[in-house]
Amino acid sequence: MLQDFLNQILPSTVGGLVIGSIYALVALGYTMVYGVLRLINFAHSEIFMIGTFASLVLLTAIAPAAPATFGIAMVGTLLLCMVVSAVVSGGAAIVLETVAYRPLRKRGATKLAALISAIGASIFLQELFALEIIPWLTDKPGRNQASAPRFVPRDELFHIGNAAVRLDHVIVVVAAVVVMVALDQTVNKTRIGRGIRATAQDPEAAVLMGVSIDNIVRITFLLGGAMAGVAGALYLMEIENTVFNVGFVLGIKAFTAAVLGGIGNLRGALMGGIVLGLIENWGAIFLGSQWKDVIAFVVLVVVLMFRPTGILGESLQRARA
Amino acid sequence: MLLEVKDINVHYGKIAALKGISLEVNEGEIVSLIGANGAGKTTTLKTISGLRPLTSGKILFNGEDISKMPGHKRVILGIGQAPEGRGVFPGMTVQENLLMGAYTRKDDLSKDLAEVYELFPRLAERKSQFGGTMSGGEQQMIAIGRALMTKPKVVLLDEPSMGLAPMLIAQIFTIIKEINSRGTTVLLVEQNAQQALKLSDRAYVLETGRVVKSAPGRELLDDPSVREAYLGGH
Repeated sequence: MLQDFLNQILPSTVGGLVIGSIYALVALGYTMVYGVLRLINFAHSEIFMIGTFASLVLLTAIAPAAPATFGIAMVGTLLLCMVVSAVVSGGAAIVLETVAYRPLRKRGATKLAALISAIGASIFLQELFALEIIPWLTDKPGRNQASAPRFVPRDELFHIGNAAVRLDHVIVVVAAVVVMVALDQTVNKTRIGRGIRATAQDPEAAVLMGVSIDNIVRITFLLGGAMAGVAGALYLMEIENTVFNVGFVLGIKAFTAAVLGGIGNLRGALMGGIVLGLIENWGAIFLGSQWKDVIAFVVLVVVLMFRPTGILGESLQRARA
Repeated sequence: MLLEVKDINVHYGKIAALKGISLEVNEGEIVSLIGANGAGKTTTLKTISGLRPLTSGKILFNGEDISKMPGHKRVILGIGQAPEGRGVFPGMTVQENLLMGAYTRKDDLSKDLAEVYELFPRLAERKSQFGGTMSGGEQQMIAIGRALMTKPKVVLLDEPSMGLAPMLIAQIFTIIKEINSRGTTVLLVEQNAQQALKLSDRAYVLETGRVVKSAPGRELLDDPSVREAYLGGH
C-alpha cells in the first residue's frame, strides 16, 4: 500500500493540478456571481458545457488540416479555441442573466426563487443542447459523446521523479494561471473591478457612488462566463470529448471548490480548485479512481464542519464591521 | 430652488412609509429633518437619492424632474449621500473608499482628495487601513468624505452623529458647518435635534410619514411642542 502510494503520488499530483486548474477556472464564475448577487448560479455548469462545444465546433472545422505537432499552428489553434469559447460562453452567460435572473431581481423576488430559476435554466440548457443544438452542430444524436480531434501532441516534456509531465498538462496549468492572474488584476486594479468589489461589499452604497448595479451584474456574468469558456476549451483539449451534461458533475465540483476556498473569494476559488483536484487524485490512489467523487464531497463536508466560511473565508465582500 | 420634493408617497409592500411629504432645499442652505424613529426621515433621503421608488409625487432637482431617474445617475447630477449606517466598503482601504466617491468622475481628483484629508486629518493618517477595521467615528468621516468626492451640489447626511462619543459629535457638526460654508448645500437627518436645529437654516419635523411643522431652525428650538417631543423638554 505504502509502496503503491509512493509510486503514484507524483503522477497523481500532476493529474490533480491539471483537473484542479479547470475546477478553479469554473469556480471563479460561481464565486463572482455569488459575491455580487448572493446567488448560486447553478446554470453556470451549462455555460462551461457551451464553452466545450464552441471549441469542438471550431476544432472540427479547422483541425483536420493541421497535424498534432507543436508549432505556431498549434499555439494559434489553442488561443483561438480559448478566445472563441470565452466569447461564446460569456455571451451565453449574459443571455442567461437577462432571461433567468434579471426579471426576478426587478420584481424583488426572493433568493429562493432565483435559485429555482437557476436550476430550471440548467436543465433547460442541457435539454436544449441534447435535443436541438448538438444534433444540429454535429449531425449525431444529441445525447452521444462527441469527440474532438487532437491538436496538441502528448509529448513528454520532462519528468519529476516518476511522473511524466506532458505538453498538454503544462498548457492547461499555465493558461489557467495566466487567465486567473488577468482576472485578479481586473478585479483589484481597474475601475470596473472597483465597481464589482463595491457592489459585492455594499450594493446600496455602491449606487450612491454612481455605480450602475445592472451594468456590474452584466459584467460579472460576462467575466465569470468567459472563465468557464476558457475552462471548456482547455477541458476539450485535454479530455478530447464532451457531452450535453458534461457540466453536471464538473460544475458541482467547481462549486465545491468555490465553497472550499470561501465563496465570494477569488483567490479562494483558485486554491479550492487546486486543493480539490489534488485531494481527489491522491485519495484515488488508496481507494481507486471510481471513488474520486465520493472523496471530493467528503472533503467538502469535513472542511465545512470545521470552517463554515471555507478555507480563506469571504473576502470579495468581507464581514461588515 | 435646488431640490424640491413634492407630495411624495413611498410604500414598503402595502405599508405607507411616506404619506405626502413635501420639502424644499435652496442652494447654500443647511436644512434638517428631525423626528422620532420611523417618522420617515431615512426613507425621505433614500427616495431623493433614488434607492427607493416612489408611488406618487415628484422630485425636482434644479427644476428637472428626477422622480424616475435611477440612483446612480442622480449622483452625476450632484446628489451625494452619506447613508444610514455609513455604508463604508469594509474590504477597501480608506483611500479606495474615498476614490469610490469619484467613480463617475474623469476630472482631476487630487485637489478634492487633499481637501477631504484636510477636513479629516484622521483619515489622512490612516489612508491604507481597511474601512471595516475603523471606529464608528472614523467610518462616519469616510462616509462624509466619500460623499464629498462625488462633488455634490447637495449632500444628504443620514444621522452623522449616530453612535458617536459627545466629543466626536461636536466635531462632526463643526465639519458639517465647514462643508456648507465652502459652498455645498446640506440636507441633514438627525435624531440629535438640538445640535441639528442650532446649525440649520430651516428644518422640517416629521411624524409617521408626514411633515407636521417647518420653520427656521432657531424658531423650532424655542417651539414648546418641539422641545417637549424632541429636545427632552428643557
